[in-house]
Amino acid sequence: MEGRLANSWRLTVNDKNFIKTALLSEIRIDGRKPFEYRKISIKFGREDGSSEVQLGQTRVMGMVTAQLVQPYRDRPKEGILSIFTEFSPMADPSFEPGRPGELAVELGRIIDRGLRESRAVDTESLCILASKFVWAIRIDLHILDNGGNLVDAANIAALAALLTFRRPECSLGGEDGQEVIVHPPEIREPLPLTVHHLPIAISFGFFSNESILVIDPTHNEEAVMGGRMTTTVNANGDICAIQKSGGEGVPQRVIMQCLQLATSKAASITKQIKDAVEVVNTERALRKVKRHPTSTGVDVREKQN
Amino acid sequence: MENKQSSSPASFVDSTVVPGDVVLDLSSMTSQTIKLGGGLRQDCDAISAMKAGTLRFSKPNKYWIESSQKRYVPCVEDTILGIVVDSKADNFLIDIKGPAMGFLPVLAFEGGTRRNIPKFEVGTLLYLRVVKANFGMNPELSCTDASGKAAEFGPLKDGYMFETSTGLSRKLLSSPTCPVLEALGKKLSFEIAVGLNGRVWVNAASPDTIVVVANAIMNSESLSGAQQIIMVDHLLKNIQ
Repeated sequence: MEGRLANSWRLTVNDKNFIKTALLSEIRIDGRKPFEYRKISIKFGREDGSSEVQLGQTRVMGMVTAQLVQPYRDRPKEGILSIFTEFSPMADPSFEPGRPGELAVELGRIIDRGLRESRAVDTESLCILASKFVWAIRIDLHILDNGGNLVDAANIAALAALLTFRRPECSLGGEDGQEVIVHPPEIREPLPLTVHHLPIAISFGFFSNESILVIDPTHNEEAVMGGRMTTTVNANGDICAIQKSGGEGVPQRVIMQCLQLATSKAASITKQIKDAVEVVNTERALRKVKRHPTSTGVDVREKQN
Repeated sequence: MENKQSSSPASFVDSTVVPGDVVLDLSSMTSQTIKLGGGLRQDCDAISAMKAGTLRFSKPNKYWIESSQKRYVPCVEDTILGIVVDSKADNFLIDIKGPAMGFLPVLAFEGGTRRNIPKFEVGTLLYLRVVKANFGMNPELSCTDASGKAAEFGPLKDGYMFETSTGLSRKLLSSPTCPVLEALGKKLSFEIAVGLNGRVWVNAASPDTIVVVANAIMNSESLSGAQQIIMVDHLLKNIQ
C-alpha cells in the first residue's frame, strides 16, 4: 500500500487555495486568461492515418486502421466506426494498465458521440457489398502524457488521423460479382474517407465560488474544479454533443455562454487542423512523385570538380 | 586496462561520465583523504561512477557526480519540501517524491512533547530536513535543525508549490544567486522555499506576482544566465 501511495501525484492545500484565489482575479497558474486555449501542435507520422497532438503538456496519439468485415444485421449498408482509448501508465501515476477506467470509457464515449451522432464520417460510402462486406474503421487513441483536458486533445488527434487516413480501393469481381478484390496501394491509389464536417470538443471547468468558468483546464485545475462540461461543436455553429459529467449544477445562461465561446474557438481550431492536414497531404503527394523519377538527377559535385 | 589506470583524475573532472567509468585511482594517491559525494562508489582502489552526470571536484578533496532528474533520492542533511499524506501514532507519513514515504516523528519539532503534537491535515506542505536516508528503508525527517531549533522548518502557509527537476533546485540554491532569482528579485518582492527534492514554493502579496515568478523559474532550466535575464525582462514587461 505504501509503495502505491509513494508514487501518486498530490495537490497541496496551498495549491488548492491558490488556484481558487488567483481565479477570483482572473489569473490562471500558467499565465493564461480564463478563456484562453493552450497552444495546439499537430504532427503526423509516416503512415497514413497516424497523428500526434500536443495541447500544452497533454500529448495524445491517434491511429486509424481499417478492415473488411460483415456489417451489423440491422445496418447492412453502413460501415462501422469504433473508437478505442488506451490510457498509458506513463501518462499519469493514477492510470493502471489493463481494463479501461471510468475516465477512459467516458472519453471514448464523448468522441464517439461527436463523430457518430453528428454523422461527421460518412459511413454509407464505406459499404462495398451490402450485407456482406463493409469497411470497419478503428480509431485508437493513446494517451501519452496527461497535462489536463484529455478529451479535447484526443478529439483533435482522432480528427487529424481520420483526415489523413487512406483506405485501399476495392472493386467487385469474381463470377457473380460477389467477391471483393482489395487493390494494393502501389496499383491503385488509396482513397480518403468522406468527412463532412469536423466536430471539435471544447471543455470547460467550473469552480465553486461565484460560478467562475475556465476553458481548457490544466491538470491542477482539474483536481480543484467543482464541475466540468464538454461541448462538441463544429465550425458551422452546429452543436453536435454536450456532456456534463457530475459536479455542481450550473445555470442556463452559463451553458449558453459556454456554447458561444465554444463556437468561436471551434472555428480557429478547425482551421488549424485543416491547415496541418493540407501541409501533410502536399508533402505526401510530393513524395509519391519522387518515387517514380523519369529523369535522373544531376550530381552537382561532379560539375564543380 | 593499463592506460585507464594511469590516467590522471583531473581528466575526468567536469566531464560527463556514465555508470561504470573508473574516475579515480587511489593507488596513485596514497597519502590523501578524499571525500566522496553522491554517485561515486569505492571498489578497493578504484572509484567508479554509479550515476550518469558530470564529475565535479571542489578543493581540497571532495568529488561528486552532478545530474538532474525528476526523481529524488534522499540524502542526509538535505532540505526538502514534503506533503503530508497520513498521520500515524508515532510518525507522519510524508511524500517527498522519492522511492519511499518519509517518516516524520511526531516529536521532531522544537519543544515537541506528547502533549502538543501538531495536527496536520492531509495535503499540508512542510519544509523539512532529512535525518536518516538508507537504501531500502523509509527516510526519517525532522522539522528542526541539528541543534533542535525550529529554524524556519515546518508548515508553509498560502503560496503556490510547483515541481521541477533536482538539477534546477540545486541551481536555485547555489551561491552566487541564480540569475533568474536575482533578476526577479530586483523588480518583485516574493518569498521562496526550494526543496532539493524538486519542489519549489513561492509566496507573494498578489497572485500575479506568484504566477510570474513560478513561470519564470519553470522556464529557466535550459537557459544560460544571460538568456534567463532576458526571459525575465520579457515576462515582466508583459505584465506592466
